[in-house]
Amino acid sequence: MTAPGEPILHVEDLSKSFGGLHAVAKASLTVEAGSITALIGPNGAGKTTMFDLLSGFARPDAGAIRFKGKTITSQAPHRIAQAGMVRTFQLTRVFAGMSVLDNMLIAMPRHPGEHLPTLMTRPGAARRREALARGRARHLLDIFGLETKAGDFAGTLSGGQRKLLELARALMCEPALVLLDEPMAGINPTLGRTLLDHIDHLRRSEGGTFLFVEHDMDVVMTRADRVIVMARGTVIASGTPREIRADPKVIEAYLGDGAAS
Amino acid sequence: MNLDFWISVAVLAGIYGVFTLGLQLNAGLTGILNFGQAGFMAIGAYAYGLLVVNAQWNPWAAVAAAVLAAVAAALLVGLSSLRLRTDYFAIATIAFAEMVRYTLQNAQFSGGNQGVLGYDTAWRGFADAVSSRLSQADFGGHSQLPLLVLVWAVFVVLIIVLTLLERTPWGRILKALREDEDAVSALGKNALSYKLQSLAISAAIAAVAGVFVALNITYLYPSVFDPNFTFFGYAMLVIGGLGSFAGTALGGLLFWALLEGTRFVDLALSAGQQASLRFILVGVALIVLNRVRPQGLLGDRAGMVAGR
Repeated sequence: MTAPGEPILHVEDLSKSFGGLHAVAKASLTVEAGSITALIGPNGAGKTTMFDLLSGFARPDAGAIRFKGKTITSQAPHRIAQAGMVRTFQLTRVFAGMSVLDNMLIAMPRHPGEHLPTLMTRPGAARRREALARGRARHLLDIFGLETKAGDFAGTLSGGQRKLLELARALMCEPALVLLDEPMAGINPTLGRTLLDHIDHLRRSEGGTFLFVEHDMDVVMTRADRVIVMARGTVIASGTPREIRADPKVIEAYLGDGAAS
Repeated sequence: MNLDFWISVAVLAGIYGVFTLGLQLNAGLTGILNFGQAGFMAIGAYAYGLLVVNAQWNPWAAVAAAVLAAVAAALLVGLSSLRLRTDYFAIATIAFAEMVRYTLQNAQFSGGNQGVLGYDTAWRGFADAVSSRLSQADFGGHSQLPLLVLVWAVFVVLIIVLTLLERTPWGRILKALREDEDAVSALGKNALSYKLQSLAISAAIAAVAGVFVALNITYLYPSVFDPNFTFFGYAMLVIGGLGSFAGTALGGLLFWALLEGTRFVDLALSAGQQASLRFILVGVALIVLNRVRPQGLLGDRAGMVAGR
């Protein structure tokens, strides 16, 4: 386990181009364990590409990603998730044709029932793990106010409920770091605040780390411990919300040339 | 239309029902569009036939080898092509099945269009013995009856095993893959590995169906494994219900009854016209079914609607 305050994620000179477009260009950043860190920047700054690179859904052209002290650059998405870095998607991706409970159970890590050899040779262990998974899933659904929906198809949930389910599902993986791509987008502000309260609570009670992309500056400034600012593919500033608010480079990135002077 | 005719129809329904169980696992459960099932079946049938005839293998050992050969082919196809998107994978698999068929048609080892003969002596001996026993019990003369029992016994066992597997955490991952592969990867599951497993099991099942095909006809020739049979399988799948293994049995029976049972309806048409008419009938049945029961006879409507 990485101690609180130590860097859990360290990105160095990461680059990714699509054709001639340098979506991420020599970006470096650090996320401290136990923190809630916001990743902000104007549209096209490379935030979502950064998430894709971190979670293994895109391969960087250059640079290195170190997570919990190990280099994970270019590893497959499932390996990175198994290592403890779990992402959610900008547009929610719940398994619509499966029950809410099954959506949760899928995410259970180290399940002997998910592998045919161990399923056959150790059915008892698979059953015990499944019982444990059900308990944890019910507990998380309870926290997120979805317990009455457990038997419903995930496709019948509202947009906001899907966001909650996706976060709850990510937490089933026992992640050390959760990447949230615009968790507040497309849901009503009340539900959004609930979601943020959950994140805050989880960070305090279980010591999780959260990195989230967000556009609402009020949310960023009041909820995040640290803020990382990207513009044109690179990281231009990072610090506490107070430092970021006063940084002329950030104001310039958002408002254009000359605005800070 | 006597009993023997209907027994032979039920044999076909059983053989292609087994064949379709693999498609059900791939397309119905995992969301993999495998259009190469006829190729895996051909590999199974020819491996069995050639090993028994040319290498004098014990039939049971030849069945095991046929299954392994089909699994090896599935891993080869899967590793090279499963990273493709669903529809491109479908194209790659149909190409694979055609490669297999053209190879068998033109290669020396497979006997070309003359095919393979004489692999079923042991089976015929056994089947005749059973038949003569049955005739003592006043139920003789039905030469296809032993094969019918064997095929449907295997079919039912496979339906039960696959239905149980579907309900395990392993099956849950396959179902999630059908919905959203990236989301499965993001939760720490190796999507490619599960798709490979699904394809390999499906190919193994196709190989078993291939051995049954071999026993049902007197010699093996390439056009038995025309890609059309994969699409027959998909028709059975749609009739029975996507995602329902038991529905495959019902779909199989209905499809073959519709296709073969209409053979003796006397119309003032040429043989060719009448053959075409039978396929038109199947097509109409599919369209009507799609209209009144889009989930298929035993499909899950609620899940289909929610999954959209």
